[in-house]
Amino acid sequence: MPLDYRRFNGPEDSIPYKRFTKDFVKSYDELFKELLDDKGVRKDGRALSEARSMCMFFARADMVSQAKGSAYVELRKTKVVCSVFDPREIPHQNEFSELGQIFCEVKFAPFSCPRRRRPHAPDAEEKALSVALRKALEPSVCRHMFPNYQVDVFIYILENDGACLSAAINAAGLALADAAVPMYDIITSCTVAVIGDKMFVDPTEAEEYLATTNPDTPINHGLLTLSTLSELKQISDFIQIGSMDVVSVTNAMEVLEKECEKLVPLVQKVLVANVLKCFAQRKRLEEEANEREKALNSKMEEWKKLLNAG
Amino acid sequence: MAGLLLSPTEKVFIVHGVQDDHRSDGRTNIDYRPMELETNVVSHATGSSRLRLANTDILVGVKTEIDVPTPEKPDLGKIEFYVDCSANAAPQFEGRGGEQLAIGIAKLMQAAYHSSDAFDLKQLCIFEGKQCWKIYVDILILECGGNLCDAVSMAVKAALFNTKLPSVKAALMDGGNIDLQLSDDPYDAKSLDIGTAPLLVTLCKIGDKCVVDPSAEEESCSVISVVVGVTGNPSSYSTEENVSDSAKESKFTTIEMVGSGSVAPKTLKDAMNQGMVAAKLLDKALGEALLRERQETQVKTKKHSYGFLR
Amino acid sequence: MADIYKLIHPVKYFNDYLSRNIRPDGRGFQEQRNIKLNVNSIKAADASSVVKCGNTTVVCGIKLELATPKAEEPDMGFLVTNVELPALCSSKFRPGPPSDFAQVTSTLVSDIIVNSKCIDLKDLCIAHDKLAWVLYCDMVCIDNDGSLVDACVMTLMASLKTLTLPTVTYDAETEEISVDTSVRTKLKVHGLPVASSFALYKHLQSTIVLADPSSYEEEMCGGIGANLILCYNKGFLCGSHKFGCCNLPKECEEMAFKIAKEKTQLVEEVVDVCIKNYELEQNK
Repeated sequence: MPLDYRRFNGPEDSIPYKRFTKDFVKSYDELFKELLDDKGVRKDGRALSEARSMCMFFARADMVSQAKGSAYVELRKTKVVCSVFDPREIPHQNEFSELGQIFCEVKFAPFSCPRRRRPHAPDAEEKALSVALRKALEPSVCRHMFPNYQVDVFIYILENDGACLSAAINAAGLALADAAVPMYDIITSCTVAVIGDKMFVDPTEAEEYLATTNPDTPINHGLLTLSTLSELKQISDFIQIGSMDVVSVTNAMEVLEKECEKLVPLVQKVLVANVLKCFAQRKRLEEEANEREKALNSKMEEWKKLLNAG
Repeated sequence: MAGLLLSPTEKVFIVHGVQDDHRSDGRTNIDYRPMELETNVVSHATGSSRLRLANTDILVGVKTEIDVPTPEKPDLGKIEFYVDCSANAAPQFEGRGGEQLAIGIAKLMQAAYHSSDAFDLKQLCIFEGKQCWKIYVDILILECGGNLCDAVSMAVKAALFNTKLPSVKAALMDGGNIDLQLSDDPYDAKSLDIGTAPLLVTLCKIGDKCVVDPSAEEESCSVISVVVGVTGNPSSYSTEENVSDSAKESKFTTIEMVGSGSVAPKTLKDAMNQGMVAAKLLDKALGEALLRERQETQVKTKKHSYGFLR
Repeated sequence: MADIYKLIHPVKYFNDYLSRNIRPDGRGFQEQRNIKLNVNSIKAADASSVVKCGNTTVVCGIKLELATPKAEEPDMGFLVTNVELPALCSSKFRPGPPSDFAQVTSTLVSDIIVNSKCIDLKDLCIAHDKLAWVLYCDMVCIDNDGSLVDACVMTLMASLKTLTLPTVTYDAETEEISVDTSVRTKLKVHGLPVASSFALYKHLQSTIVLADPSSYEEEMCGGIGANLILCYNKGFLCGSHKFGCCNLPKECEEMAFKIAKEKTQLVEEVVDVCIKNYELEQNK
């Protein structure tokens, strides 16, 4: 890789220290045992089918002051910031496009992943996430309302503890709504990790890692992310990787649909709170403006008097 | 598909036909168009194939290299996919137009081959933790006539079927380094075990039903397709009878949605099932064709080539 | 109404405020914005902190790695600081490689840290000429509303102050490395450099010094960043940078230095309290 002269670079051969710890390489079974205790409770105290959305979900809109719309979503350790900017003309395009476009960029912070330091340059995973995010958002946005324009959606993942794509989609949905981009429906998304007959709803990074590692025996394993437009009963994006049979995929899909449904009221609550806040703010600003106008008018009167007198 | 104009009535005709499982060119919803396939077309590659499906023309070359395995997975080899869209393949590929599509296909292939159920990377291991084979699969799209994913996956499987890794004759341990001696004899080589390698099937949603291998007219009636990657059946790719009869059941290795629309949950489930059936049929046909070709080359020493790369 | 006025007569709008001795966001000229600091909120990093000065939000994360030291400096470790200005923090930035402004800010922060000598790189060496720590410190701006360097330096120092290094044993004969994460030692940090940004505005005949400017004020003062950045460590000046705008009259200069010194105390208190609270919680 060519050296990046626009940043400070460390030594070329630096290695994460975790590689030299005693328990760096663990067998599949060991890793699996770490995820679940004997009672089937996950490491962070959740049951298998319990999503972080219900108890550890934190979301707010209007996070970045410089952006048109923004949102922050936190699923316990997973932290995602999203901002949406004003539409601008699609760059480098000769032909008129009838539908507006959504430009998505997902970036990981260099320190976001527990396993390794992320390079600054966009890697394959970031590009893949950007494409997946765009595909999920496209059906939810009324793109015919801004022909030949594009809306930029930027996602920054501060910490990745699993389910970062669904967190990104949820955040982007909130941010688009905050930016008052016309949309058909609220978009919600959820991830599930499958290992054998166990289904880890809203997995952590360790669970995700194991679900995409090859097990010693050919059992079902994989990672599924689904995003839905719940009011319209439509699936806007569905991604699966790993190796799973038909039954397992279908079951996982049903679980995911339900989870997405559960998220809707939470998202609605955040949106309503945000709108109320905006109203209050606007009211305050208007009052201030009125005051100022009054002051200006009185000054005008003063000047007029002075003019007339002189 | 520039310049293709269809009137609303023509579109309705196609949609109704699909609904009744009868398409305008006489196929059913899971039939492919006839295709041409030949292997061993590039003499400098370790394995190669060329596939023509209707107007889609694809050339795949496989190269092998010796590499160091990653410290996290010391017993696994590596496989990488590169897609190059020739500027001649379609008018919109000029300049950097094909780049996005190429990255998308490469990513899909990478995801489909990720699981050990699909492609066992252990067979590429030479020395655990020290050396392994790295397979580069270069996919060149010569002409684009739709349905690229399916064609690419078939061509890749054929090229890998055609790939032979030279045997390792001796290895010298010198401190921490290993000095390998590879066999010079071109016939002293082992074929890859690719029976389970996945095939991608694109299901194009038209109305409520899905079709495989859509023609250009059919593609213009659809806004979204579902791509499924399904593992193959090893018994189709071996002449030996004693292949483990437990021929693993077919599994999904990747599912993704392509296009800007959305689907109803039921349609998605139907599409997945349909894709599974289509993939099984396709896999069987591909196996038969490859075995027949291998037999023919063994009987006749000089291969008769059909393609343009004589 | 006010928005439209601001759009049509940007300079007059700004002048109107300044002539009444107040800034558009309601602060006095020398008033700082509120500071919020939080340490170790990102568990994936070895040390981290988030700081919010007004709207400006910067997150810093430190990742530890091991490497062989440079041949010319065999007993020195590495401290690699980078400031990331992703496209999402402001509409002025586009995705892609770092902009000129990001590079300038990166260099500024790195200069401040190196010049203040708050980290002795020799502390990062493990085995002479064989092994040393590499501290990758990445500061990411989430919301850029001015005075970026202040926030970057503050979050970086807060992270460095909470950083603990695992014990490493290096066998000189077999060249084997083993790391014990259960025993950790604190990194030695000498002092606490604090940067203070100022925007300078030529109003009528006088020069106005605006402490802790917002991005709007920075823009009005003609720069893409602050015009004057002063940095103190342990009461000693360890960096001063001036960019653009007018020449600085003597009394303004003195005032700026005074404000910067005062800010040092404020930030020191914030960081100390925050770290103390965190450690208390940790020990519980």
